[in-house]
Amino acid sequence: MHRQKAVHNVYGKMLPYLLLIPTFAVIILFIYWPAVTSFRMSFYKVSPFGNKTIYTGLSNFENLFKNPDYIQSAWFTLFYVSFTVFATIFLSFFLALLLNQKVPGSRFYRTLIFSPYAVSPAIAGTLWSFLLNPVVGHVNYFFMKAFNVQVLWLTTKPYALYALLLSSVWKALPFSIIFYIAALQNVSDELLESATIEGAGTLRKIWKIQFPLVSPITFYLVIMNIISSMFQSFAIIDVMTKGGPGGYTTTMMYRLFLDAFAYQKTGPASAQSVVMFLLMAGVTIVYFLFGERKVHYA
Amino acid sequence: MKKALLILVLVSLLTLTGFSATKIQFWHAMGGWRIDMLNKMAQDFMKLNPDIVVDVQYTGSYDETLNKLVAGIQAGTAPHVVQNFEVGTQKMIDGEVAVVMQDLIDKDPTFDMGKFLPQVLNYYRVNGKLYCMPFNSSNPVMFYNKTLFSKAGLDPNKPPRTFSELFEYAKKLTVKDTAGNILQSGITWNLNSWFFEEFMAVQNAPFVDNNNGRTGRATKAVFNTPEGLKFFKLWNDLTQNGYMLNTKAVDWTAARQMFLAQKVGMLITSTSDVALFTDSAANGFVTGAAFLPKPDNSPAGGVVIGGGALWIIDGHSKAETDAAWKFVKFLAEEEQQVTWHLGTGYFPVDKNSLENLINSGFYAQNPNLLTSIFQLLLSVQTYNTNGAIIGAFPEVRNIIQNYVEKMLNKELTPEKALELAEIESTKAIQSYNELF
Repeated sequence: MHRQKAVHNVYGKMLPYLLLIPTFAVIILFIYWPAVTSFRMSFYKVSPFGNKTIYTGLSNFENLFKNPDYIQSAWFTLFYVSFTVFATIFLSFFLALLLNQKVPGSRFYRTLIFSPYAVSPAIAGTLWSFLLNPVVGHVNYFFMKAFNVQVLWLTTKPYALYALLLSSVWKALPFSIIFYIAALQNVSDELLESATIEGAGTLRKIWKIQFPLVSPITFYLVIMNIISSMFQSFAIIDVMTKGGPGGYTTTMMYRLFLDAFAYQKTGPASAQSVVMFLLMAGVTIVYFLFGERKVHYA
Repeated sequence: MKKALLILVLVSLLTLTGFSATKIQFWHAMGGWRIDMLNKMAQDFMKLNPDIVVDVQYTGSYDETLNKLVAGIQAGTAPHVVQNFEVGTQKMIDGEVAVVMQDLIDKDPTFDMGKFLPQVLNYYRVNGKLYCMPFNSSNPVMFYNKTLFSKAGLDPNKPPRTFSELFEYAKKLTVKDTAGNILQSGITWNLNSWFFEEFMAVQNAPFVDNNNGRTGRATKAVFNTPEGLKFFKLWNDLTQNGYMLNTKAVDWTAARQMFLAQKVGMLITSTSDVALFTDSAANGFVTGAAFLPKPDNSPAGGVVIGGGALWIIDGHSKAETDAAWKFVKFLAEEEQQVTWHLGTGYFPVDKNSLENLINSGFYAQNPNLLTSIFQLLLSVQTYNTNGAIIGAFPEVRNIIQNYVEKMLNKELTPEKALELAEIESTKAIQSYNELF
């Protein structure tokens, strides 16, 4: 009797760990182990097929920071990420407010506006490439008819940047809109009604009631958008501009992709992934330390 | 009881044959309708060799296929036969992952090396040895719209042969509206370093040192020369005047679209596209093909082989490697090469196929294909036209494309762009060489 209880106790203590094993196996195998490996690889120079390996110390990192192209891609990434995140948050909140109105057909508009979310980034890039094609694209056809100007969207400065920002924001919007709509529906109508009775205008209600009440969502969306534009933007860039013209739209992620998967330079690519990891860790910590103070948890 | 015994015997026979069949994997990078073509070829091969099973897999682009190969080799799951692009040649040799094709050829008395076109052999033979089996070869060729030529008052049977003629023709083919918008332009080719390499060979000029890396490992880029500058300047002059439309880097499709939509009068592209342009009824215009033009008074050169070849990966059992060799040999045979040529536009790599096609009157009906094969056969054979081999080729190509884009965007003069492209390429080559 006594023994049975002991066994039961041990089993009871072990159970949570047992249940966690599958999750941890996956995380360790696919996240931690590769992360540790790439950290180690960043100190080596490895031949494409891995048959020659030289320990190079920190020289992979030195070469990165001495390379003006890499510095430029870092600045470009900063601009690209801040612009897309800011534009996405602002526009999605605004669109969510509109979609939250009880007007006929709002479900229909919602479906239309969500659709880009269901499209893969590569397809989205292809779609925009077709639309922005200088010769047979619809956008240029419109520009020619309306303003009689011809724009080489994907191959010239600064238009390649505009094209990229436009399509990135377009692609990122639905995700944020969905979250904002859900959050806005949770804002109680009584609050808004009493504010209306007290004589608050629409803008005042949005800014003083709705925006603060959805701030936990904003907090979440900002960090999610930073991560996705930092790491997942590469498909759109690869399809639309190939990082060009002249490296102009090359982000840190796209450069890493080139080094790792076009040139098989595992060492330098690992060094870049370490740099990006540290950057993102820094951004996340700072954001959680200082950003969270402004969040209003209801 | 008898029935049961019979079934038992049959089942055991089936399993036995199933076990005795040698299974090999073939990874390739030929998308679209070519997937079915290669599957069909593998089926034909299996009919002839019932003891071999070929598992054909389309593994994405050349880059993706190479990455999968790298991963496969490190994980011990490499395929037996893999297709790789021409610029991956040095990387594959340095990786020491393949069975040297020459060794297999030398051991097989039924295989005649003499059947290959010398241009093909000269590209893939390194240090006197053939490392891989030539399979899909192409080179650049100029297509032009005869209908637009006539409209512009140009003789549709006299394509431009020199850079200055090309410039004049492109100018005449360009149509602008009153606001200066380009309605129709002279020429396009996709923004690709490949064309720079080819136009160096056209002028019989080297791309890297040590005879294009063929008499020793290349240590630096040597294309910052008058020959290199002539092509950069041509590209820049055509673009700045609006006589040429450019694509983003390596966008073959966009360049084709412009030509098919008759937005440009001339197109330089790979011969592997030829099948798309010859159907004049569908396109609504007549297409001609011509050799790549060269600068006035340039020495005779030629075009370099592009495309891909088949590699047999080492580390498999003898039976499997033998099966792989049989399969590779089969793909290089006349019948398969002719089917491939007609279905894709890649030209046959062996002489028998050409003879066969000439005899059948094929080239009389397809003069554009004749032009492209003639251009290759008439190429002067020197180290410069055999093509450069460097390990860091994909990176060097990207560097050149970057600087061309900077030049076309007026950030750099052609002189400066070429100079910096050479310096950066040399850095990439030397960084790669540190490993070997």
